[in-house]
Amino acid sequence: MELLKIESTKQTPEIDFNNKTGVLLIRGRSMSENSFEFFKEVNLWIEEYLNSPVEETIVKIHLEYFNTSSSKCILEIFKKLKKINDIQDKNINIKWFYDEDDEEMMETGEDYQDITDLPFEILIANE
Amino acid sequence: MSKQDLYFKEIENLQHSKSFLEEGKYTQNELKNEFKTLYDNYEDILGQIKIITRISDRLQRRLDKTNDKLNEKNTELQKTISELVKTRISRKATTIVFIVAIALFLIVEAVIEPYIESYTNFYTALFIKLLIALMIKPAEMLLEHSFMKRERKRKVNTNERKD
Repeated sequence: MELLKIESTKQTPEIDFNNKTGVLLIRGRSMSENSFEFFKEVNLWIEEYLNSPVEETIVKIHLEYFNTSSSKCILEIFKKLKKINDIQDKNINIKWFYDEDDEEMMETGEDYQDITDLPFEILIANE
Repeated sequence: MSKQDLYFKEIENLQHSKSFLEEGKYTQNELKNEFKTLYDNYEDILGQIKIITRISDRLQRRLDKTNDKLNEKNTELQKTISELVKTRISRKATTIVFIVAIALFLIVEAVIEPYIESYTNFYTALFIKLLIALMIKPAEMLLEHSFMKRERKRKVNTNERKD
């Protein structure tokens, strides 16, 4: 299994998934009209990763903006990753970052936390 | 509906339920299982609707805020541009009036004054020079007013052409 690295563009986020460290990073903005197509590769990688995840998977998400279709894709990612919790001795933590003045993104993180029931940390981004 | 679709999974679930319903014959247990699947799918979709609606509303709020900020900045920019235009026009008017004043002064000194001195007295020459000096400011204001009027007219014409 290889690392998944996708550079960010004006419309798509940076993806940096590392199966060795278990750190999965999504950062930037996701406003592509065809977000399903973009996240397809991400979903395929996750499906493969679910076969042998590390002890603790950390998902870091720092999005400044995403459109409605991306919000569904992100939800799908969370649902897939939730399966890690069903594997013995494996767990997952979500670190949801938001910019200090971005109240909306903070609330969005809270919504995802409510609906997915995953362990979320909602944090102010320092960078 | 292709596998490329964002709602592929939901459509597939719906088609499965439709096919099951069309079969017509099912045992109590099969019915129960199918109902459970349907219930799970419904719960999943309800969750999705909830979150997508909330996110969408929040995005709209964010867009409204950004739009308000943009309008505010646009008003500020228009104000600054108007001030800049006014300053530019004022400077232009001052330059023109200053050049005209120097020209008039030279004319008075070289042409009119020797004539006045031959026929009238010193005070008349002084009065003419004072009159020129006093006319500088009103002339500048008049010129400025005229330039501003022309600028406004030009702006209206540009806007009409844009429309």
